[in-house]
Amino acid sequence: MTPLLEVRDLAKHYPVKSGIVVARQVGTVRAVDGVSFAVNRGETLALVGESGCGKSTTARLALRLIEPSAGSIHFDGRDVTRIGGAALRALRRRAQIVFQDPYASLNPRLNVGDAIAEPMAVHGIGNAASRRARVEELLGLVGLAPFHAARFPHEFSGGQRQRIGIARALSMQPELIVCDEPVSALDVSIQAQVVNLLKDLQRRFGLAYLFIAHDLAVVKHVADRVAVMYLGRILEVASKRALFAAPRHPYTRALLAAIPHPDPQRRGRVTPLGGDVPSPMAIPPGCRFHTRCPAAQAICREQDPALRPLADGHQVACHLAETLPEAISDTGAGFAPAAARRLALFAKARAAV
Amino acid sequence: MTEALLSIEGLRTVFRSGMGEIAAVDGVSLSVPRGRTLGIVGESGCGKSMLSLSVMRLVPPPGRVAAGRVLLEGRDLLTLPKAEMRDVRGREVAMIFQEPMTSLNPVHSIGDQIMEAMRAHEPRAGAAELRDRAIAALARVRIPAPERRFTEYPHQLSGGMRQRVMIAMALACSPKLLIADEPTTALDVTVQAQILDLLRELQSETGMSIILITHDLGVVAEMADEVAVMYAGRVAERGPARAIFEDPQHPYTLGLLGSIPRLDEERETLLAIEGSVPPPFALPPGCRFAPRCPFAISPCNAAPPPLRDIADAHEAACIRAPIEASLALGNAA
Repeated sequence: MTPLLEVRDLAKHYPVKSGIVVARQVGTVRAVDGVSFAVNRGETLALVGESGCGKSTTARLALRLIEPSAGSIHFDGRDVTRIGGAALRALRRRAQIVFQDPYASLNPRLNVGDAIAEPMAVHGIGNAASRRARVEELLGLVGLAPFHAARFPHEFSGGQRQRIGIARALSMQPELIVCDEPVSALDVSIQAQVVNLLKDLQRRFGLAYLFIAHDLAVVKHVADRVAVMYLGRILEVASKRALFAAPRHPYTRALLAAIPHPDPQRRGRVTPLGGDVPSPMAIPPGCRFHTRCPAAQAICREQDPALRPLADGHQVACHLAETLPEAISDTGAGFAPAAARRLALFAKARAAV
Repeated sequence: MTEALLSIEGLRTVFRSGMGEIAAVDGVSLSVPRGRTLGIVGESGCGKSMLSLSVMRLVPPPGRVAAGRVLLEGRDLLTLPKAEMRDVRGREVAMIFQEPMTSLNPVHSIGDQIMEAMRAHEPRAGAAELRDRAIAALARVRIPAPERRFTEYPHQLSGGMRQRVMIAMALACSPKLLIADEPTTALDVTVQAQILDLLRELQSETGMSIILITHDLGVVAEMADEVAVMYAGRVAERGPARAIFEDPQHPYTLGLLGSIPRLDEERETLLAIEGSVPPPFALPPGCRFAPRCPFAISPCNAAPPPLRDIADAHEAACIRAPIEASLALGNAA
């Protein structure tokens, strides 16, 4: 089966210039530096990594919102790396994006109905009346009411604005939605509402998500497969289960180990990774993670490891993947009995309301 | 029980507005034991940051503290003369904020800014002595090559390094209490883990108390000895950290715990709390969580429930806690 979206060796390099009269290039920021992955129909691929790893740039490259320096993008089997005009507009109908900041991504002067209808108007879908009807339907889909169409963005909370952003992305009946940190700016209780909504919409419409996030716990909840990025490169890709149960790359292990658990009994088990992420203007030679890697050997400083397959779909870019000891899956025991019992009562009572 | 370093009693912080007086903090009582960490958890708008600004007497106008006491070793900070309060800030109680870039002055070197903080409290100290102490302060927060960093500017540092500098400045005068308002929210998880580790180490070195304000239950579990869960300006539940996580009583605490995805759990849907926090000018008359609470019954809407004892040092402001006993009595919602 052809994947819905496939990118190969994608790169985005930004020149860094200096000088007032004559600008000279003094360096290159390698924001995305050779990334390949595929997203299948109806699945969620999460791209995770810390700030500056290139995950958002990769998302924008995949939708052709910015132009790649190298590499190719295939959508539904077709090379869309260099298409333009009507062909590019047609692609945009099939692939949409939801941004992180629901405050910045809505025009404050446009009421919500017009904001949601705008993509349809741009693509010339339907007439004013049919678009209005569709807006009402979309508002219902994301848990808002028809009367909200006449209101303006400032009248909504952050979570509601994110629902509006999702409704706008859905208006084109896309096959792929790129979600760029869609819940990072929201409070936890609201985060859960939006995550549940995204999963529900995926089931109903068979959507594929490219889900950009830095929070591995959220990713564990929404993703089918996970790709871990570091300094512009994917270091590990695996099914969610394999990645969380048996991470192979030392960086993935460090990321998982750094998450604080909501369980005071497990306090102090976090082992912080030393140092900071190097600058994307000066990516270390060899393996780009070797400067912070607790397992680094001589080969890691010399040779850049390629992303290579291990077993069923699990890929890793580490020279030592086979020789590293098995990761001890230390994710804790879940809720304490009293907490679990009351949470079940809470869920039951809520379902009854 | 250990003696309290700081106790907050009946604190009420209000803002004048077109719609009358709005209480951002409404009758909050809490205490911070010596050498321990109090975690204050809540979502945006729950009043947790306003609470800490009230303790520092830094509430921005038109806000003001309308009632209550803030006792630091028995002295009420709210009635201290301004000059004495200035001495308390930095020397006895220090504060660090979420965004280290906006808290640091971009046009002064790191070293100058740390020395400025020291000089404010010890005007007679000599330049050479201050310099040595500022470098020692940078070394204490595990900044590599502190002599070089001393001359650098904030933009040359990473987010984690900037937060270390903020901590170095806050601890420059060895305060008894550090208020950390979302200290790791703007940082990546691996850097967050470094900063939390550092705060823990510094606490055991100096014996200072910490008030840690956060929305992240993971960070609270990692750091806090005592926990207060705040909702819409009030304390919903408070108690020892283990009690809050293992024996949560208030439905809001339950909702928060159910909302966060966990690594040690497989669930199809998260237990989200319906609706959102009420705005401070339209608060419900009874329990402020009642409109979102699946267990709410009519008495919940009548009067705000007071905090009451559930177990040793564990209190919840819910008339239905513990909920299973309440449901068994037949008071089904």
